[in-house]
Parts: sequence; structure tokens; C-alpha cells
Amino acid sequence: MSRHRTDYLWVAPALLVMLLVIGYPFVYTIDLSFYDTPPSSANWYFNGVNNYTQILSDPFFWAVTLNTAFWSVGSTVLAFLIGLGAALVIQREFVGRSLVRGLLMIPYVISYVAAAYVWRWLYHSDYGLISGVLYDAYIIDAPINFLDSTSNVMPSLIIANVWKEFPFAMIMLLAGLQTVPQQLLNAARVDGANAWNRFWHVTVPTLRGVIIITSILLFVGNLNSFGLVWIMTGGGPANASQIWITEVYTLAFQSLQYGRASAYSVILFIVMLALGYFYVRALTSGSRNREARG
Amino acid sequence: MTTVAGVRPRGRVAARGWPRPRIKTLDVIATLWLILLLAFALIPMLWMLSTSLKGQFAALAQPPEWIPSHPTLDQYQTLLSPTGTVGPVFLRYFLNSMIVSLTTTALGVLIAIPAAYAFSRFQFPGRDVLFFAVLVRNMFPVVVFLIPLFILMRALHLVNTHWSLILTYMTFGLPLSIWLLKGFYDNIPEELERAARIDGASRFKAFWLIIMPLSSPGIIATAIYAFIGAWNEYVYALTFLNSESLLTLPVGLQHFFTEFATNWPGLMAAAFIMSVPVVVMFMLLQKQFVQALTEGAVKA
Repeated sequence: MSRHRTDYLWVAPALLVMLLVIGYPFVYTIDLSFYDTPPSSANWYFNGVNNYTQILSDPFFWAVTLNTAFWSVGSTVLAFLIGLGAALVIQREFVGRSLVRGLLMIPYVISYVAAAYVWRWLYHSDYGLISGVLYDAYIIDAPINFLDSTSNVMPSLIIANVWKEFPFAMIMLLAGLQTVPQQLLNAARVDGANAWNRFWHVTVPTLRGVIIITSILLFVGNLNSFGLVWIMTGGGPANASQIWITEVYTLAFQSLQYGRASAYSVILFIVMLALGYFYVRALTSGSRNREARG
Repeated sequence: MTTVAGVRPRGRVAARGWPRPRIKTLDVIATLWLILLLAFALIPMLWMLSTSLKGQFAALAQPPEWIPSHPTLDQYQTLLSPTGTVGPVFLRYFLNSMIVSLTTTALGVLIAIPAAYAFSRFQFPGRDVLFFAVLVRNMFPVVVFLIPLFILMRALHLVNTHWSLILTYMTFGLPLSIWLLKGFYDNIPEELERAARIDGASRFKAFWLIIMPLSSPGIIATAIYAFIGAWNEYVYALTFLNSESLLTLPVGLQHFFTEFATNWPGLMAAAFIMSVPVVVMFMLLQKQFVQALTEGAVKA
């Protein structure tokens, strides 16, 4: 027993700071979400679930939710597919392979702030590279409004975001691909399976775990992605790119409604937790069925 | 060894009489796709560099100049000269970022090492709890912690100091750091310590003399990861600091932008300088970085 007590000394520092900086705010946020915190006064008072009912009955919340879904699903799917495509081609042996892998990962390691400014500049409606090149090639006859148009802003942001995070999917899946047993692929080939069948029936089932983890990490990363949207559009124009995370920030630090922002946060957390839980369960039970059948 | 067009096992298969043209098609597609990917990943970076080497008027030229016809280092000189109006401010931001990131990294690794080792070796309900902590930390909207942490930092008199950022970054990085390091410790055979313990070494001594040296690649990888995270962080720096002299680069860049709204070459030069440390560090230690990032996921 005493030996176990000294075991805990090894993790004590980590546990202590995590309790202080993660545990305490976690509880505090939940507590604060039941309070009315008028920005003009220091008198915060308990008002039950009012913050929650107000948020959920506000049509604007649902508009923001739709934006968030588009942003997260769009970014995750595209980043995953491009990352997978990149992993499949990087996995082949060729000269300069590790250099190419390194170059492809540059967008991932630079900051979202630098990325946001570069893409703002690329998208610039008067002097931007993209409009300029397309105009020059007679593909368009007027500059495209990437970020100042309510219909273009989301796809434009998603492309910038996919640029930033596809390398993450790439290296995760690349690492997974390297665990696929070569004998199994060879056996499938001898049995006459073509490249697609080998990929679908041998590679994908082996990668299941990595696929789950990569897509969850991408998805929650996108739900929490603040800097890119905030710097590129600030949620505009006309709230067309307002997503949950930027809306929480606006509520808390521009409208100074801490209580309401906290309730908003708790709702997001519940949604994320539920999504994560059902997603993991669906995928793991799928694989169990497959194993039982196969 | 071989080129994109000549993947080794395929050569053997072709010799066995598989239809050659089909294999070639796959190679061509792979090569084209790779070129496309490289263009997608690198053009924005190259455009950043190209713009930063232009004068303000050249940057607005239409059609855009891919390669500046009159390249100039003016923007870099302005940003990096310790005299003038912009240089000292920018250098201050850079220094602040360095201080915060290096302190965060050192403290974070120091705290993560024993915890990771304990999770790897001792009888904790380790792995599941830890992985859950990593996920939950990622799932709880980062912005959400802002309000309570801001209030906490105020109570601790840390608002508007670098310590508020260091404490936050370090802690937020911990679950992942521990998870990454644990992966490295798991790969070191326990027999090594057992032998040392039988020879009379204490648990700590066995750890310090046997495990620490063996796990240094893992520690380096975790450190890079922590450094890059701290170097790039934006939201907390935006909220916790308000003195101009304390700002870190990501937030400072925004000030730079609002003050010099039309100076795109200057902004691109600043973004480029900000990207250099992380890109260089990553390129030098690519292998460890990739290993650290993927270690847990592949085994889970």
C-alpha cells in the first residue's frame, strides 16, 4: 500500500496543474452557466436553466449551428480524403520521399495566424493571387469575392482550413498504412484482387482504428478551430461564417455575457461528447460484426 | 533507389507477366497527384515569401508577379532593425514568443516525464483514462476555458503576465505530452530496469540512469510538439495579455496588420519570420515529430 502511495508522487505534479487549470474551470463553467451575469453590474444571480432555454429557442443559434455543421463536416471530409490520397502516394517508395513528406507538412506546423493572413492575401478581391490568375487566364471576367460574399465565405474558409490540416490526416494514415501486413497484400494479389479490392478489403479494415482516431481528432479540432475564422472573417459577412466557437467568444468577450457564454459552452461540450461517443461506438461495433462474420 | 515510376514490388509483378500499361497508368496518376498536392501545400507558402520580397506597389501589380522583378529585403530590414518604429516592437514580440514557448516546453516536459513513466510502468488504470483525458481536453471548446481561466488568473494576479500563458499552455499540452512520452516508454523493455533493480538500484535510479538516456528521442519529439503548440497559440494570448510590451507574435501580428493595413509585403514578411523557427525545427527533427504524433494512434 505504501509503495503505491509513492507511485502517485510521479503523477502528482501533472495531476495538480491539470486539476487547477482544467478541472477547476470545467466545474466553474458549468456553475456559471446557471447564472445571469449582466455585463453592467457585478451582481450575478442564479437563474436556473434560463440561459439554456434562451439559447436553444433563439433561431440565430440554429443558423450558427448549421454553419458549424457545414464547416466541421466539410473540413473533416475534405482533409481526410486529401490526407488519405497523400498518404497512399507518399507510402510508395521514391527518391526524395521524406523531403516531399516534410514539404507537405509545412502548412500543418505553421501557426493558424500566419495561415489566416496568407489566405486572406490569396483571396484578396482586388490584388489576390487567385482572382488575378483566373482573370489572367480568362476563366473569370471579374474578381471573385471570396470572403465578402455570404455564399462564398464558408467554402473559401474550408479550403484554407483543409490546406492547414490535411497533412495531419496524411501522417496519421501514413503511419497506419505502414502497419498493414505486406504478406496479406501479397496474398490478396496472388488471389487475383486488383488494387482497389486490396485497398478496400485489406488496407481499410486494418486501418479502422487509425481512421476512427484521425477523423475524431479532425472533427473536434474543427469544432474548436477559432483563429482561422476569427482572423479571416470575424464571423462575417452578416454572420455567414459565424460558428459556435466564434459565437461563444463574441458572447463572452464582446457582449461580456459570461453566464450565457458558459451555457453555450456546456451545450457544445455535450454535443461533442455525444457525437464522439456514438461515433466510436458505431465504428467499433461495426468492426466487431465484421470479425464475427468473417 | 527508385523513382516514382518504378515501385519495387510492382517491377517483379510486371516481370511475371502482368499487363504493363495498367501499372504505368497508376504510376502516372500517382506522380500527377503528388505534383498537385505539392502545389496546393507550397504555393501559399511561396506566395508569402514572394510577396515579402516585393515593394508595396509591386505587391499590388495585376496580373500578379510570381517572382518579384525587383526583389528587396526592405521589409525584413524594417522588421528586424533594432532602431526605427517597427523593428523594436516586432523584435519584442519575437522575444516574448521565445520566452513563453521555451519556458512552457521546459516545464511541460519536466512534469510530463515522471507522469508518463508512471502511466507506462505502474498499476494505474492508465491508458484508457489518459486517452480519454486527451480526447476530452480536445473536445471541450478551448474558448470555453477562457472565462473561468481569466477569472482564475485574475485571482492569482497573473493576468497580463507571461506566466498566465505559460501555465495555460503547459497544462493544456500535458495530456498529449504524457500520451506521447508513454508511447516511447512502452517501447523500452522493462527487463532493462529489472536488471538494474536486481543489481540494487532504486526505482528512481533505474529510471534516471537507464530509461532517461534511452527515451531522449521521445523527449525531444515531445518538446518540439510542445514548443510548436505554444509558439502558434492565439486565443489565450489574445485574451490574457493587454500590455503592448508583453504580446506574443500571433497577437502582435494582428496589431501590425491593423496599424499598417495596406502593407501586405510587411505582413507577409512578419508571417514568414514567425514561421521560420517552427518549420526549421520540424524539418530537422521530422522523423521524431512524426513518430511522436502517430505513436499513440497506431497502437490504440
